[in-house]
Amino acid sequence: MKRVGLLAAALAALVLPATANAHVVLSSAYPDTQSRLPTAPTEVRLGFSQSVTAGPSAIQVLAAGGRLLSGDVRVSDDGLVVSVPVSGLRRGDAYTIRWRVTGPDGHSPAGVYNFGIGVKPPPPTEAVGAGATTWKDDVARWLLFAALALVIGPLAVRLLVLRGPVPERLERRFHVVTTVAAFAVIDVGVAAFVVRASNALQLPLADLLFGDLTPFAQKTRFGVAFLVMTVGFAIVTALLMLAWTFDRLDLRWPAFALAALLVSGLSLSSHQGTEPGSSVVSELADWIHLLAACVWVGGVATLALLVWPAAPELRRRAFVGFSRLAVAVVGVLVLAGVYLALVRLPELSDLWETGYGNVLLLKLAIVAIALVWGGVHHTFVRPRLEAGGQPRVRASLVGESAVAVGVLLAAAVLTNVAPPPAPPASTPAAQSGR
Amino acid sequence: MVPRAEIAHWLAGSALLLLGLILLSEVIVGREVFRRRRWRAYLWPSLALAGGVLLWVVAIFSTFSTMHLFAHAIWAQAAMIAAAVQLAVVRGKLSSPLWSLVTSGALLISGAAFLVHEQNAWLFSRSAFLHHVIGWTCIVAAFFPLAQALQPRRAAWSVGFALTFVALAVLLYADRDVAPIFGHLSDVAGGR
Repeated sequence: MKRVGLLAAALAALVLPATANAHVVLSSAYPDTQSRLPTAPTEVRLGFSQSVTAGPSAIQVLAAGGRLLSGDVRVSDDGLVVSVPVSGLRRGDAYTIRWRVTGPDGHSPAGVYNFGIGVKPPPPTEAVGAGATTWKDDVARWLLFAALALVIGPLAVRLLVLRGPVPERLERRFHVVTTVAAFAVIDVGVAAFVVRASNALQLPLADLLFGDLTPFAQKTRFGVAFLVMTVGFAIVTALLMLAWTFDRLDLRWPAFALAALLVSGLSLSSHQGTEPGSSVVSELADWIHLLAACVWVGGVATLALLVWPAAPELRRRAFVGFSRLAVAVVGVLVLAGVYLALVRLPELSDLWETGYGNVLLLKLAIVAIALVWGGVHHTFVRPRLEAGGQPRVRASLVGESAVAVGVLLAAAVLTNVAPPPAPPASTPAAQSGR
Repeated sequence: MVPRAEIAHWLAGSALLLLGLILLSEVIVGREVFRRRRWRAYLWPSLALAGGVLLWVVAIFSTFSTMHLFAHAIWAQAAMIAAAVQLAVVRGKLSSPLWSLVTSGALLISGAAFLVHEQNAWLFSRSAFLHHVIGWTCIVAAFFPLAQALQPRRAAWSVGFALTFVALAVLLYADRDVAPIFGHLSDVAGGR
C-alpha cells in the first residue's frame, strides 16, 4: 500500500509541474557575449525568448574590483527586452555583465559574461565576482582522469599486450569496464563542466538549473574541449558497444585511437594550453604525459581487477607483456612531466614557495612511491613469473593501483591550482642594460 | 550557428518516424518474413544507436540552461543503452526476456526527463503541450516492451510499440518555437 502511495505521489509530481519554472532563454545581447567593442556602450540591452520581470539590479555591469557602473533596469512593455544605462566605461578595459531575470512562473534564469572595449575580454570564468575552483572541481577532474584511465588502460592491455583470443569471461569484463568507463567520461565531463561554470555563475543549486552555460561552452577552451570530448566519447562508446555485440575486436582500435586523441582536449584547455609561456610543444607534452598516465594507471588496474581474477592462465603473459610496455610508458611519462615542470616552474625555489610547487612536490612523492612499487614488480616479480612461478601479487597490484589513483588525485588538484606567474619577458632595453 | 529548437526536433521526428515505420513493417509482414534477411533485424536498434550518438550533438547545443543540457544527456544515454541491449538481443548475445526491461526503463526515464524539464502548464504554448504529451506517451509506452517480453506472440504489443514512435514523430513535427495550442498562447510566451 505504501509503495502504491509513493508511486501515486511520484506520478502526481510529474503531472502537476504546472506553474513552476520556464524556458526563458537569452536570445540577444548588446554588448554581445565575450565581444570586443570599438567604443564604450551607453546602454546594455538583453533580449529574452519570453516575457520576463526584472528587479532594479537585474543587470549589473561591473568593472574590475567590483565597481558597479550600471543604473536602474528598464523593461520593455512586452517584457522581452531588459536594458540598463551604463556610464564611466573606458577604452582599454574589460567589464563583466551579470544578469538575472524572473521568468513567467517564478524561476530565475541567470548568466554572466564579459566584454572589452578595444581589448579582448577575459574568459567568463574570470568574470568579476567569480569564485575560485573548489574541491568539487578537484573531485570532478579526478573522476574524469580515473574514467579516462579505465577506458584507455584496458584497451591498451587488450590491444597491445593480450592480442588474440582471450577467455570469454575476461573478454566480457573488458567490454563492461571500458563501456561503463566511456559513459562515465561523458557524464563526469558534463558534471565537471557545470561545476566549473557554477564557480563563475555563483548561483544556488536550484537556480543553477536555469543558468546559461553557453558563454562557457562556446567561449572558453575548456568549454570547447567539453563539447568535442562529449560527442567524441559518445562515438567511442558506440564503437565499444558494437565491438562487443559483433565480436569485432578491430572496432576497438578506432575506439582506442579516438579516445587517445580526445585526451588532448584536456591538455589544450589545461595550464599547458592557456597560461603564458604555453606552446604547441607544451600542449603536446601535456597530452603525452596524460595519455601515458592513463595507460599506466589503467593498465595496472586492468591486471589487478580484470586479468588476475578472470583469467589465471593469462597472468604471466599479461604481467610480462605489460611490464615491458610500462617501462616505455613510464619513461615517456617522466620525461614529459619533467619538461612540463620546467616550463611551469622556472625557479627551483618555486617548488616550495608556491602552492602549485607544493602540490607538484606532493604529486612527485606519490609518483615516486608508485614507481618504486612498479620497479619491485618489474625487478622481482616478473623474473619469477617468467621462470614459471606463481607469485601471489594480486594484493600488491591492487596496492599499486591505489597509489596510482592517488597520483591522479594529485594531478587533478594540480590542474586546478594556478602556476606561479612567468618571469617578465626580457625586453631589448633590459638586454642592453638600459 | 546553433540550430533553432524546432529544426532539431523535426530532425529527431524524422528519425523516430523511420524507426516506427521499420517496426510497423515487421509487425505487418510478420517477424519470420521480415527477418528472412538478417540485416533487417538490426535496422531499428542500429538506427536508435545512431540517434543516441546524434542526440549528444543536440545536448552540447542545449547549454542555454543546465536543465536542458541534463535532459538531452539523459535522452541520449537512454537511447544508446536501450539500442545496444536490443542489438545484443538480436545478435544472440543476450537471451533473457528480462532485457526488455532496459527498453522499458529507457522510455520511463526519457518520459520523466521530458516532464521534469518542461514545467510550464499544458496550455502555456504548443511546445509546452507537446512536451507534456511526449513525456506521458513515453511513460505509457514503457509498458509495451514489457508486455512483448511476457506475450511475444501477441501482435498488439508490437503494434503499440511501433506506433509509439510514429506518434512521437508526429508530436515532434508539430513543434514550433513559439506557437499557440488550441488557440491558446500564454501572454508571457508572446501571445496577445
